[in-house]
Amino acid sequence: MQNEDKILEHLVSVEKLANEILSDRHEIVMLDKRRNQNREALRDLSKSSQKKCWVTVGSVLVKHNLDDTRLLLENDQKQLTVDINKLRSDLKVKVNSLRDLEMQKPIPGLMLVPLSSKETEGLSSSKLIPS
Amino acid sequence: MASIAAAQVQEVRSITRIERIGAHSHIRGLGLDDSLEPRAVSQGMVGQKMARKAAGVILQMIREGKIAGRAVLLAGQPGTGKTAIAMGLAQALGPDTPFTSMAGSEIFSLEMSKTEALTQAIRKSIGIRIKEESEIIEGEVVEVVVERAAGGGGARVGRLTLKTTDMETNYDMGAKMIDSLLKEKVQAGDVITIDKATGKINKLGRSFARARDYDATGQQARFVQCPEGELQKRKEVVHTVTLHEIDVINSRTHGFLALFSGDTGEIKSEIREQINGKVAEWREEGKAEMIPGVLFIDEAHMLDIECFSYLNRALESETAPVVIMATNRGITRIRGTNYKSPHGIPLDLLDRMIIVPTSPYSHQELREILNIRCEEEDCQMSADALTVLTRVATETSLRYSIQLITTASLVAKRRKATEVSMEDVKKVYSLFLDEHRSEQFLKEYQDEFMFNDGSGDAPQLMEVSQ
Repeated sequence: MQNEDKILEHLVSVEKLANEILSDRHEIVMLDKRRNQNREALRDLSKSSQKKCWVTVGSVLVKHNLDDTRLLLENDQKQLTVDINKLRSDLKVKVNSLRDLEMQKPIPGLMLVPLSSKETEGLSSSKLIPS
Repeated sequence: MASIAAAQVQEVRSITRIERIGAHSHIRGLGLDDSLEPRAVSQGMVGQKMARKAAGVILQMIREGKIAGRAVLLAGQPGTGKTAIAMGLAQALGPDTPFTSMAGSEIFSLEMSKTEALTQAIRKSIGIRIKEESEIIEGEVVEVVVERAAGGGGARVGRLTLKTTDMETNYDMGAKMIDSLLKEKVQAGDVITIDKATGKINKLGRSFARARDYDATGQQARFVQCPEGELQKRKEVVHTVTLHEIDVINSRTHGFLALFSGDTGEIKSEIREQINGKVAEWREEGKAEMIPGVLFIDEAHMLDIECFSYLNRALESETAPVVIMATNRGITRIRGTNYKSPHGIPLDLLDRMIIVPTSPYSHQELREILNIRCEEEDCQMSADALTVLTRVATETSLRYSIQLITTASLVAKRRKATEVSMEDVKKVYSLFLDEHRSEQFLKEYQDEFMFNDGSGDAPQLMEVSQ
């Protein structure tokens, strides 16, 4: 009886973590979608010659000052990038702990700090790693 | 359709290609189960249970990183599977762990000193894991629009629409990006990646959704799935390089080509020190992980006293690989000295080693090994022919009997038989002498050969006094 409880507990924790990973993945996709939409909007704003533009807030259309809108969007972009990066680094920890729960070895080199671009360039120009 | 035809053409080619088979090509691992108990016949390994179990324990220690800086000695008579166990260990460690295999006599070369050769071998067996990271945009091209300003002058502008299964977006492009897109001949339906830092465009292939756009496609057309998820991805690639590779590309006189030609020459110790320093720095910053690998020295009795004392010191270093040696000698002279020692290895080094003995195979095991080799060499052997071969193996040697497999199968092919029969084996047995019969023949007709001194103990002259 106790064994059954233990198994159930284990399965619940695995499923919970896996579900979290999936929802994080989805969240990143959604955030990146918004990031790309914002980028398109910023580009259109820079082309526009008017003083005001239409902004949708939820389902409401608002006419708003162009410069303020740009500032809003730029701030949003910054926040989005921070959020995406945070989700990505959290995801690594979660994937490794899920593998731990499933009795698998952690992915080799997952937690390594990446080489700087200069170091990478040096290694790839000497053909040590494929470019 | 075209791609299927192309695949068939490929297949025909691969059949005609001659595959070379090595002496230990049938080894796929150590043949242990999850609790490290050896299975009787598994992964090409037969018998030798105690040695394999010991190797399994060593394997586990290597994996946990507990054995670095120690050595293992595989000792046993010729043809008892010492090299096979080392190969099995290499296979079981997987491709990520560096495994260097060398023969003891390899270190004697005119181009470099003995210790340099050993240092290179040791550094080939230490890997470093590093990570490369890049931000890329990956997606399927929906549309490329390039607007040329009238009259040729003026800046061109363009728009690229990319999509994944989850989203779609537009990018405005400047003249440079347009140029590189045109140069790569990117068109709607291609799946591409753009490196954010460098702007480099890479074509991965065409989307499967566009597979039926044309009736005829070029041979190099490759179809890939439309990418999933976000457009702007972070790509992380983990590389494993050995210390020796870093040494070679940093030694200024030799380029990276030296890695392929093997013509590396001597590498200055200052360069090695610099690299050690850099790697230590990377490890401190969390940029690199050390993977201590395995250095396998076959015929270890061929090393001389200098090499042994060098190894003794090298094993002390904190970044030493696991050194596995194999020898088939008993108590014999240590090369370069007049002292005798077990296995021809000095006692102080022997003291650091875990010694794993291998014992001769039994009759049944020999039969099993011969059977595996027959399969490996694609040769149908009848049951009684296998029995004869097994008897040959017990009376002469396993190696001789393995040589007979291929030769007998060629004889069988000559008479257009599908199966090798007992007669074929007997024929090649009479055609090719084994070591024992050859010796007997030489003794009988000694007088008719050249340079005969009549004493009959010629091998003593072969002994080189270093």
